[in-house]
Amino acid sequence: MGPVAPQKAAWASKEQEGKTVSRTSQESVRGRLERSNALRANIKRVYIYVFLVLIVAIFSVAKLGQVEMFGRGHFLSPNSIVNLLRSAVPIMTLAGAFTLLMISGYIDLSVGSAMSLAAVVFALMIRSGASLPASIAGVLVMGIALGAINGFLVMKLRITPVIATLVTLNLYKGIALLIVPDGLSAIKGTAEAPMPAWINDYARKDVLLGLPWAFYVALLVIAALVILQRKTIIGKYAAAIGGNRTAAELSGISAVKMVWILYAAVGAFAALAGISRASYMSLGDPLSGDNMELDCIIAVLLGGTAFSGGEGSVAKTIVGALIIMCVTTGLMTVIPAYWQTVAKASVLLIAVILNHLLVRVKA
Amino acid sequence: MELTDNVLEIRDLVKDFPSVRAVNNVSFDIKRNTVHCLVGENGAGKSTLIKILTGADQRTSGNIRLNGAEYAPRSTKDAKLKGISTLFQELNVVDQLTVEENLSLGMEDTTLGFLRRTDKTKRMVEAMNSLEPSIKPRQLVSSLSVAKKQIVEIAKAVATESDIIIMDEPTAAISEGEIKRLFKIIKGLRERNVTVIYISHRLDEIFELGDYVTVMRDGKHIDTRPISQIKDRGELVKLMIGKTVFEQYTLKEGACKDPILEVRGLSNQKLNDICFDVHPGEIVGFYGLVGAGKTELARAIYGADSYGGEIRFKGRRLPNSPDKVIAAGIALVPEERRSQGLFTILTIRSNVPVMNMRKISRAGFIDGSRERKISQEYIEKLRIATSSMEKETRKLSGGNQQKVVLAKCLFADADLLMLDEPTRGIDVGAKSEIYAIIRRLSEEGKAIMIFSSELPEVVNICDTIYLLYDGSLKETIRNGCDLDSEKILHTVTGGA
Amino acid sequence: MRTNQASGAALPQMSNESFLTLFMVGVLAVIFAIACLVVPNFFQARNVLNIVTNNWFIIILGIGVTFLLITGNFDMSVGGVIALTGVLSVWFCQGANVSQNVLANGLGLPYILAVGLALLCAVGIGAINAFFIARLKVPSIIITLGTMMLARGIAQIITHGAQRNTSLPDEFGLVGTAALPGTNIKISVLVMVVLVLLAFVFEKMTVSGRRIYLIGANSEASRLSGVKVGRHLASLYMLSALLAGITGILLASEYKAGVSNRATGYEFDALVIALLGGVSIAGGFGSVLGMFVGAIILSVVTSAATGLLLSPDWQFTIKGVVTFLAILAQRFALDRRK
Repeated sequence: MGPVAPQKAAWASKEQEGKTVSRTSQESVRGRLERSNALRANIKRVYIYVFLVLIVAIFSVAKLGQVEMFGRGHFLSPNSIVNLLRSAVPIMTLAGAFTLLMISGYIDLSVGSAMSLAAVVFALMIRSGASLPASIAGVLVMGIALGAINGFLVMKLRITPVIATLVTLNLYKGIALLIVPDGLSAIKGTAEAPMPAWINDYARKDVLLGLPWAFYVALLVIAALVILQRKTIIGKYAAAIGGNRTAAELSGISAVKMVWILYAAVGAFAALAGISRASYMSLGDPLSGDNMELDCIIAVLLGGTAFSGGEGSVAKTIVGALIIMCVTTGLMTVIPAYWQTVAKASVLLIAVILNHLLVRVKA
Repeated sequence: MELTDNVLEIRDLVKDFPSVRAVNNVSFDIKRNTVHCLVGENGAGKSTLIKILTGADQRTSGNIRLNGAEYAPRSTKDAKLKGISTLFQELNVVDQLTVEENLSLGMEDTTLGFLRRTDKTKRMVEAMNSLEPSIKPRQLVSSLSVAKKQIVEIAKAVATESDIIIMDEPTAAISEGEIKRLFKIIKGLRERNVTVIYISHRLDEIFELGDYVTVMRDGKHIDTRPISQIKDRGELVKLMIGKTVFEQYTLKEGACKDPILEVRGLSNQKLNDICFDVHPGEIVGFYGLVGAGKTELARAIYGADSYGGEIRFKGRRLPNSPDKVIAAGIALVPEERRSQGLFTILTIRSNVPVMNMRKISRAGFIDGSRERKISQEYIEKLRIATSSMEKETRKLSGGNQQKVVLAKCLFADADLLMLDEPTRGIDVGAKSEIYAIIRRLSEEGKAIMIFSSELPEVVNICDTIYLLYDGSLKETIRNGCDLDSEKILHTVTGGA
Repeated sequence: MRTNQASGAALPQMSNESFLTLFMVGVLAVIFAIACLVVPNFFQARNVLNIVTNNWFIIILGIGVTFLLITGNFDMSVGGVIALTGVLSVWFCQGANVSQNVLANGLGLPYILAVGLALLCAVGIGAINAFFIARLKVPSIIITLGTMMLARGIAQIITHGAQRNTSLPDEFGLVGTAALPGTNIKISVLVMVVLVLLAFVFEKMTVSGRRIYLIGANSEASRLSGVKVGRHLASLYMLSALLAGITGILLASEYKAGVSNRATGYEFDALVIALLGGVSIAGGFGSVLGMFVGAIILSVVTSAATGLLLSPDWQFTIKGVVTFLAILAQRFALDRRK
């Protein structure tokens, strides 16, 4: 009898041990998972800033070849920074509203065309003698209308957002091309109808620190949208609709109205971006907004907004937009311009992968 | 307004579906500020009743009065505005927002659209924290456990001054410890002028929680009583199953062949160390209530979900993806026929052969005449009621749709057929036809596994019955020998 | 009475897909009749033939785009792939070290090999799409817009943003310009017709073709019925890229040049003709035949517009309006049918 009991006890303790081992291994797995999640969350919080700093650093240190376009020959020289910021004005104006739309789970591919159309109409109005404020106001109203049309197609007629806005992309572009007379590539000053020189006032004239009105307006827009996202019901409802539409609607939020408003806002800011482009170039180019939707998507994805909506940050999108501008203009100084498209495509693919690694995966 | 004693009065409520009367002349009252439990087997009519209350379904006839006033919600939102909130099984919180933001969602105090932190938000947070102090208002909801998400939803319902909160199986997905906390909260709701309608298959919970219980069976109201007047769970089980006479099961005598399927130590997130064998010609039933792990077990064997442990089929280890499992000789009739089984916008003809295209094709080309012949054959064999094989399957009735899914699986020439809730939402006639098909298949030597939450179904046709509770196999029963329906219900509702 | 009954029995038998195709054929007939009445000299044999043959490249693209659209996915990269394969085929063929001009020097490979390699690169773009969409589950619109840029960008690098058209062997221009003996129908048109027929056979008669519809109708049910959804989508993306590659080779041969901005906007045209032909991304129906009808509708409308002396700038607007009308008309027709 004697020897049996200890044997049994030994067996029991062995089983006990086995259990504790498996439990600790389970706990350690969970712990590791939590730590990796925390790590991922931290990376997610800061990576975009690191990315920006890194890119600026690389371009600053690298001996840039054809630097004449940046004046003193340094990426961080005041001249080149001013140039960079000036060329970033359209995307800075537009990407914030685009982010809010994507947070609510929708997309607008027609922004580039809306921008072109706005540029053409703006140039036309200025050339035919309208004042600057009147032209800006008129074009903004048109932009709201263009966005509202998208909203109507998507929210009321329930056409898939991608298809609806792809078609309006071509529609708006087509209208812009129609406005420009045959044989001309843009609305510009002619002998009988000269373009007033002050069309430049908005996006080229130095107001402060070498930067024009358009830049400060873009800053204002960004500030307003960051506040809008963080402090008002618009930002909150956008996230709620993108995160769980049923829950949002059960709480009494009208998703249709909300998203419609966002589409209209995106249209308005696309128009503003078009105005600054036209003012900068002193002409209305019906192709000036081409591929803007891609720049916006890249900026938004770099900024960590989820494909499916629900979360994202206007501020980070703007950082994303700056990264694109740095890459494209920075690369222009080292390699020929025809490398730009591939560079942009690579940034997009990198953004998608980063987004996949950091945003989509959940515990 | 003077408050009536009864918060809700239901009178002569009827709900007809095309082939079945789901709620049959139901009348009962729900007293104010009580926890009112609703029990019944699957198909007893509970969920239809709840759907009418939440506005998801419209009644055929009858009367409901909420606080003495006529109540006829058009939608879930409308029901909520009128004072009935529901905790659905799929949670309605926004993961990406914080707790505080979720609480105030849709009811924010704003100035020109700017969010203000007002007393209202503070009160909501306080209300929530009095329910559950550990939830922080600034926490993201995605970081909360399922139970805590439910608490956030409950807090929101309380804050919107709902008269009634309906809870549909709130404990199905949460752990023991969390259940205890949830119960304390639910009990506390009575003091906050909230009436709770509580639906659960776990009978112990009802004794612990309820003030009143209403039993439904076959669409009819059986009884409403204070819990104190019910002796024990045995009495409740008796009320639930009534005098259901099971169709006579005939004991099968077969030579004991080698098992075709051997499952050893099968575990994943929802399953816990499951072991069993299935023999050729055997009909095996897996019986358990909602959330017991039946579907998860079927999906794991089928290779649709990942798992640990070992599954051997015909002596070989089973691969881990549906296409290979089908090739090995297993077919599954999935739980949700419309979203998982059927191609609703395609015709019967294109649905039938999908799991075994090789049989109707030569060198990758479909033999159209063979396809039509086979579809016709199955339409006749399973007696699918349709004007033509070119009818889109979404236009068929539920029973006929299920027969199409069954035809699809039969055509796969599987040696083991798994059926997950094979007769859910199907009328009696089609049900017995499907049973007859299953019996015939077993006589042909096929192994059958049935996953069901309807006891008569398993008792009716299965040779062996496994009872599942909470992801584990609790008991094995040889049909015809040691069958005791009260004991079964005892086991699958969590009784030791 | 009897005929009534017969049609009553026949009607519910017709699938929505054939119904829509017939509906669009009807629309085509109406548009064609109007065009003949309104546009001077529209109804001429040559004109009618041109309508079918002038858009051969869009129709070839439309095949892959249609298949993908039936499964609920987009392919916006086809235009870029055309440019890429065209440029690559030229670059591979150009004589090595023949000139001071960088753009005149190529790799000096034989034509067949050059074409093979170029097509391989096209399939490579398709494989990138496939990886991101089938494996990482990234929305197809985002990735294919990216690979559109990638493909076109590589073409721009090779051509320095312009084109390559010198020091090409004689056989380079053969397939693109040759006509069928005794006619003026180009080989490219023949290729298009053959591909459409093959695609039709593939779609309606083969197991793989059937699976496209299964995935589009219900991707989860397909998986549970043993369809390898990911692998299938991947091969469709590679097929679509291959078709775009073939188009690129033919176009480069026709113009004896690899132009980096060739085929801009073709991806939209391919999408439009698929939509006009009744392909729906909502749920697994549509057909190559419908897409073909859609292509004819689009070219009737655009050539009618040209006949009315509208400037070519009108084409974008017309395409946009026609597409919306088609989407709404189809939805209306389907609703009325119920």
